[in-house]
Amino acid sequence: MTKRITIDPITRIEGHLRIDVEVDDGAVANSWASCTMWRGIERILQGRDPREAWLFTQRFCGVCTTVHAMASVRAVEDSLKLEVPANAQYIRNLILINHGLHDHIVHFYQLSALDWVDVLQIPKADPAKTASLAESISPWTGNSKEQMKFAQDKVKGVAASGQLGIFANGYWGHPAMRLSPDVNLLAFSHYLQALDYQRKALQVVGMLGGKTPHIQNLTVGGVANAINLDSQAAMNMNRLEAMKVLMDEVVNFVHQVYFVDCCAIAAMYTDWFNYGSGVKNYLAVPDLPLDSKATMFDLPGGFILDGNLRDVHKFSSASDAPFRDGVTEDVAHAYYEGKTNLHPWKGETIPDFTDWQADKKYTWVKAPRFQGHPMQVGPLSQVLIGYAQGDALTRKWTDAALATISSVSGKQVTVDMLQSTMGRHAARAIRAAMLADLAQKHWQLLVDNIAKGDTTVHNPPSFPSGEVLGVGTHEAPRGTLSHWVVVDNGKIKNYQAVVPSTWNASPRDNAGNHGPYEASLLRNPIADPERPLEVLRTVHSFDPCMACACHTFDPSGRQIAKVKVL
Amino acid sequence: MKNVAIIGIGNILLGDDGVGPYAVRTLEASYEFGPTVQVLDVGTPALDFIDNLIGLDALILVDSVENDRPAGTITLYRKQDILRHGVSVRMDPHSPALAESLLAADMLGIGPKEVLLIGITGDCYDAGCNLSSEVRESVHLAIDCVRAELRRLDVPYFASKQHTKPDIWWAAAVPVN
Repeated sequence: MTKRITIDPITRIEGHLRIDVEVDDGAVANSWASCTMWRGIERILQGRDPREAWLFTQRFCGVCTTVHAMASVRAVEDSLKLEVPANAQYIRNLILINHGLHDHIVHFYQLSALDWVDVLQIPKADPAKTASLAESISPWTGNSKEQMKFAQDKVKGVAASGQLGIFANGYWGHPAMRLSPDVNLLAFSHYLQALDYQRKALQVVGMLGGKTPHIQNLTVGGVANAINLDSQAAMNMNRLEAMKVLMDEVVNFVHQVYFVDCCAIAAMYTDWFNYGSGVKNYLAVPDLPLDSKATMFDLPGGFILDGNLRDVHKFSSASDAPFRDGVTEDVAHAYYEGKTNLHPWKGETIPDFTDWQADKKYTWVKAPRFQGHPMQVGPLSQVLIGYAQGDALTRKWTDAALATISSVSGKQVTVDMLQSTMGRHAARAIRAAMLADLAQKHWQLLVDNIAKGDTTVHNPPSFPSGEVLGVGTHEAPRGTLSHWVVVDNGKIKNYQAVVPSTWNASPRDNAGNHGPYEASLLRNPIADPERPLEVLRTVHSFDPCMACACHTFDPSGRQIAKVKVL
Repeated sequence: MKNVAIIGIGNILLGDDGVGPYAVRTLEASYEFGPTVQVLDVGTPALDFIDNLIGLDALILVDSVENDRPAGTITLYRKQDILRHGVSVRMDPHSPALAESLLAADMLGIGPKEVLLIGITGDCYDAGCNLSSEVRESVHLAIDCVRAELRRLDVPYFASKQHTKPDIWWAAAVPVN
């Protein structure tokens, strides 16, 4: 007997993703990812000054503000072949790194941990035993019995109030929940501490960017931060040191808490390395440029097809020709008119709404394709592409994660097994651990460069007459982000943003190939169709954020699972 | 002195959804406040909205809302209205984040005791940087509500001596070629 489950909405943050799955014999037999609201924000940019585009694009989404600002200035710079001074690269990199750390911490603890952690088991835990367990696996100083008791009391307080409050939308007591009360408590105590450390990471972004959530310091050609070691009003050593203190705290949290917790939870749920692979084509662009021409990067990019890690293709620049020429968007199953497979520079956004129709049009998300293939983007792609290329930093943290998960679980977990639901979580923790190392590295690069006497932060742009094309990329927390701009006589003629959640939430294309969310759900087990926790686990492992892909103003924020027998 | 945040929420790129940022920037251009009062345009925050709540005695939000009233209508909501499940009032995309942030702050014991949401019923949420005329015309009423709440909280404010133009940078006309 086939049952159709509709989950609408699924994100716990702004946005409105709808998932439909057909369940047969306790597993997902077919799936659709759709978004319920039109995306057309880019049209606002037509006719505007390209130097101001980033101010608008960072308002696309309240979660991914800085990433859209950065991709926008990079797109305009690419159209002008404008170099960015080294100081500006390092300052931008530090903003991107700290934003990424904030985002990954929030995703793991606040947005997805409770898919695996059963809060209502916590009152049964023993805080003393939890503390000694925690101290046996990490040097973190926030693992005392008192801290565990504090966290337990918070849950008891919420439970005693008779209302679940912030925990009202979880599937507590679900048979797929498997952690002991003590491990649940440990994870939850870090859930509370994570709120402090995500904030510290954002404070670093604010110190560099002027303020958050909307940074003020970007400019096409560099940054607007005044560097003067002798001035109280400018970026000086006191400010840089204050930033370093905050950053070091975040780095420790990521290495000693997030990375360890993620490995421990993965070790308790090793069966989730068997589900959720889906689309095994991976895409990432290189990021964190190390020089003003952006020829060298700390984070590698490229692509892998069919999960074949032995055949990785490398991108040599952030707008490398294979990427620049390889991206198209298909609208066969999306609510748009027009031709399929348009390149973003020629992209159209003409709405053509129909009802949700499983075999026709069913979403507002276009289907981006790379060289015709659906691609998965995000930390898993970043890690697999780096690992396959032999990138030392990726290997260091990936090998550490695999060794920890294997030793705690007693099962051999390999890099190939990361192509799974749990692998996406592990890869995000690996990526965060790498970014934490790079936070310290890029701070030092900036300080050393300033110490050499270089205070340049900006190269002024000048716009030619006629038409120029640019693509700006950023390997954002959720994956490959690209902004595509056509500038004509110094004014924006066309602008398209191909965002990570568009790649991952893409619908079927003209050839009927599923997008990554859809494909990843196939064959997932479903213990209880009325409470489809397993669907949430796999979809949340991508870190969906539909606000960029499609904005929405539907409010309810309640997870609603509707089940119907077909 | 009470710590107060006056926060505009909404997406400035989606028509009437931008009324919150528009209103607080207009407020900021016309009035001066003491050092314990912050006026912020936070766009469309998610759970990081908790960061804005720490140490507050009172929170005043200005936001667009969807309900059955005519465009430009102002409706006041208190914390229990925002948190009540199954309310008929529809509060746009960041609403889950708002409710969850308030609940998380409560759990941690760090949230504001007083919460007022000044909701302005929107008309059009299509992509675009301008408010509909009904909504724009009620911005001054929303500001009156902010001032009344400050008086109720016994928090002083003053009319600005020099008249500055509100920084509504996004509403500037698109330059014509």
